[in-house]
Amino acid sequence: MTTTHSILIVDDEAHILQVLSLKLRNCGYTIYTAVDGEDALHQAKQSPPDLVITDVQMPYMNGLKFAHELSANSTTSHIPVVVLTARGHTLEISDTRIPNVKKVLSKPFSPRGIAELCVQLLAEVQGRPSEIRDAA
Amino acid sequence: MYTDPIFISVVTVTTLTAIVAVIVALKSKAREADAITEMQTAKLESEEAHGSLDSAKIHGCIDRTRRRQVESVFDVLRDAVIVVDAHGEVLHANKGASGLLLVDPSEAAGKPLADVVMDHQLTATIADARSGLPKEGRQYEQEIENDEETVAYEVHLQSVGHPDEAMHAVVTVLRDLSREREIARLKSDFVSKASHELRTPLSSIAAYIEMLEDGDAKDETTRQDFYGVISTETKRLQRMIDNLLNISQIEAGLMHIDRVSVSFDELVGRAVTNMNPQAKEKNLEIHTQLADVDLSVVGDGDMLYQVIVNLLSNAIKYTPQGGRITVAADTDNLTRSLHFSVSDTGLGIAPDQTAKVFNKFFRIENYRHVAKGTVLGLNLCQHIIETLHSGQIGLESTLGMGSKFWFSIPAERGQQKAA
Repeated sequence: MTTTHSILIVDDEAHILQVLSLKLRNCGYTIYTAVDGEDALHQAKQSPPDLVITDVQMPYMNGLKFAHELSANSTTSHIPVVVLTARGHTLEISDTRIPNVKKVLSKPFSPRGIAELCVQLLAEVQGRPSEIRDAA
Repeated sequence: MYTDPIFISVVTVTTLTAIVAVIVALKSKAREADAITEMQTAKLESEEAHGSLDSAKIHGCIDRTRRRQVESVFDVLRDAVIVVDAHGEVLHANKGASGLLLVDPSEAAGKPLADVVMDHQLTATIADARSGLPKEGRQYEQEIENDEETVAYEVHLQSVGHPDEAMHAVVTVLRDLSREREIARLKSDFVSKASHELRTPLSSIAAYIEMLEDGDAKDETTRQDFYGVISTETKRLQRMIDNLLNISQIEAGLMHIDRVSVSFDELVGRAVTNMNPQAKEKNLEIHTQLADVDLSVVGDGDMLYQVIVNLLSNAIKYTPQGGRITVAADTDNLTRSLHFSVSDTGLGIAPDQTAKVFNKFFRIENYRHVAKGTVLGLNLCQHIIETLHSGQIGLESTLGMGSKFWFSIPAERGQQKAA
């Protein structure tokens, strides 16, 4: 990887933050973390990451509201968002129909699959075809 | 004399047998009564002519009494029952049908069906059931609007007329499905919440195992950390499943408890000793205030211990470093009960949340990052105290100041401790 992409991971479960951070750091990405939507939005506005991975059910601001806020802000609207949730089966499609939400994944998840998805989405952002089609 | 067969539509599975039996009886009695009435009429005329008291009058009274009895049976049912005769006139509508009618059920008899039933589709369905030869029983679901709301009904239509008779009456029974739908919604909600809570530790376990498989833990220390997370989350998952099963068993009345004399001095002492290491890690002091009285109750010692540990554990989780926790027990001779409480100087709970903390899967969202739990612990405590020990559990809390969780259960006796 020639450029180091940055990824913001948002989850209030410390174990999930730790495991995803380590996996993606091992893949060469620069990782930022937040434990709620409010903190994540603040960080994203201050220093927009290349990709966001967010949980849904979190304190202060949930992941969907956070994705909406990113989408509505001109400095963050281009950032692709991956929603990672244990509530996948109860989410309505309309809930996640947010312009920048590229994928909704259910927990339990595969860190390996997430890493592959990150490669795919970041390649799409750069305008080149992705090498991995069946990530996560 | 022509005898109208009776046509009935029946709805509820639970009442089906009873209603069919009653309808058949009514039909049979109606025919019998008609025959009797015919004879009685002739006899009556003859007897009246002779100015004597007649047995026909008695039979007539019996017939009317029987009819009233059958109608009373219908009125007892919560299901709506509408009986229509061969000419499309209402023979009887019970009290349960009042929400579906344009008139009071007591005024429905003798009126055309279309003038009585509010819903056009239902009227058409019953009219259809009356046409042609009697059909096999029919059952379907229909949403019907009444004055206030839309209600889902299970509608039963069943002909009990003679198979060869083209003219037959109809009985319609409608069962309100609102309660079943509500129970189904609650079940679905429960499964959804349980699934979410179980997936959280499962996610960690699955992810850390895959990381180990992929060699993402580069050194022994990291590997040990991963094993630790897998172990902790597995235990958390186990506790959740245990709690779920225990709550389920208590709710179903299947939980067996050992009722023996239990000393709260011993329970509290053991719980505080076991929880002290966790408290020390956060530099928390646990103070015990046990009244100098007999703190015995009749109950299940293991379960009561579980409640004490759960309340103490929550106090430790939600009290910041350096805080104070007080465990107290006393008896109330007036109510002959034992009072136990755990007070802390922790985060406290907002007034709008206090009523919900004993609900299954309730979590104060803003405290999610403070501590993990099974989100079933307080619900299980409530069941153990209130369902199994006939006690009461509650809390007093001030946001930012701390909480006091308490319970009271009937005491074995409230005497001064022997010197």
